[in-house]
Amino acid sequence: MSSATLILWCIVGVLSIFSWRAGAGTLQRGLELTWKTTRSNALLIFLAFLIVGFVNVLSPEELITAWIGPNSGWRGIATSEFLGMLLPGGPYVVFPIIDILSQAGAGLAPVITLITSWSTQSLLTVSFELPFMGWRFTSIRWGLGLAIPVLTGVVALLLWG
Amino acid sequence: MKSFFQKNWVQILLSGVIFILAGLAYAQGGWPDVLAGFTTGVSILGRESILLVAAFLTAGLLQALVKKEFITHWLGREAGIKGILLACLGGGLIPGGPYAYYPIAGALLSSGAGLGVLVAFVTAKNLWSVSRLPYEYAILGGTITYRRYLITFLIPPLLGILVERLFGSWISAIRENVKR
Repeated sequence: MSSATLILWCIVGVLSIFSWRAGAGTLQRGLELTWKTTRSNALLIFLAFLIVGFVNVLSPEELITAWIGPNSGWRGIATSEFLGMLLPGGPYVVFPIIDILSQAGAGLAPVITLITSWSTQSLLTVSFELPFMGWRFTSIRWGLGLAIPVLTGVVALLLWG
Repeated sequence: MKSFFQKNWVQILLSGVIFILAGLAYAQGGWPDVLAGFTTGVSILGRESILLVAAFLTAGLLQALVKKEFITHWLGREAGIKGILLACLGGGLIPGGPYAYYPIAGALLSSGAGLGVLVAFVTAKNLWSVSRLPYEYAILGGTITYRRYLITFLIPPLLGILVERLFGSWISAIRENVKR
């Protein structure tokens, strides 16, 4: 069992105790929410891992290293920002795909840019944002936000190469 | 028919990507490579499943412990730098996807929250999310996750302050924009 698995199960233990002590059905509600999230994301997770499997077999290391590899510099950061905006779905889909890109040779700075761009600039999220916040808010947040993934990528590049 | 595509477009898109990748695998090595892609994916999923269950349980229990109403009530009142910092904290703690936190941001907007507070809330949700953290850590590992959180840590409050300074006076127009 990996250390990540062990740590997460310890956190589950602690949260379960807190939920149980909070009373008023908190623990049961937590388990129901877990089941709901798992059920609604099960197919997406399965599909995401199939993508992971195929990328593994195709092993496009050269292509990935050239575009978003550790030495891809500015081009890698720009490509990652663009890719991040287009990545569909929630963390259950996106993280396994980013992980396989990382294993296939993507550099740390492009990976951090990719996660940040998907987090703040995702076009899928904008479609949820517009009806609730209006186009003025979205223009300001998304427009200024365009600098964030590039900035984080550059800082990562300077700090960790 | 239209609603089926609207509801399941991510699944349809991912299936399309799998179809293309399977085609490439076939071109590379015929049916054995297509089968290998499928079985590799399933076996990685099987290997990661204990970890995935723990990540889902952590997210579910956090959602049950952190009440949305409490955060809305708590953020609607504060303004200025204090409001921005509280919004960051609330955004980081609030669970759920965009279908869950945008209605809350919308409620905060209509209840009088400032622009900096709103941008800080949304950005912190996107960059600090505590409920996403277990999954990110489980899949991407400690090094990437810790470095990513470290680098993006200051962004939500700084962006909130910057937006408030530059565009803070636009908040009435934004509120009107949504009302219409």
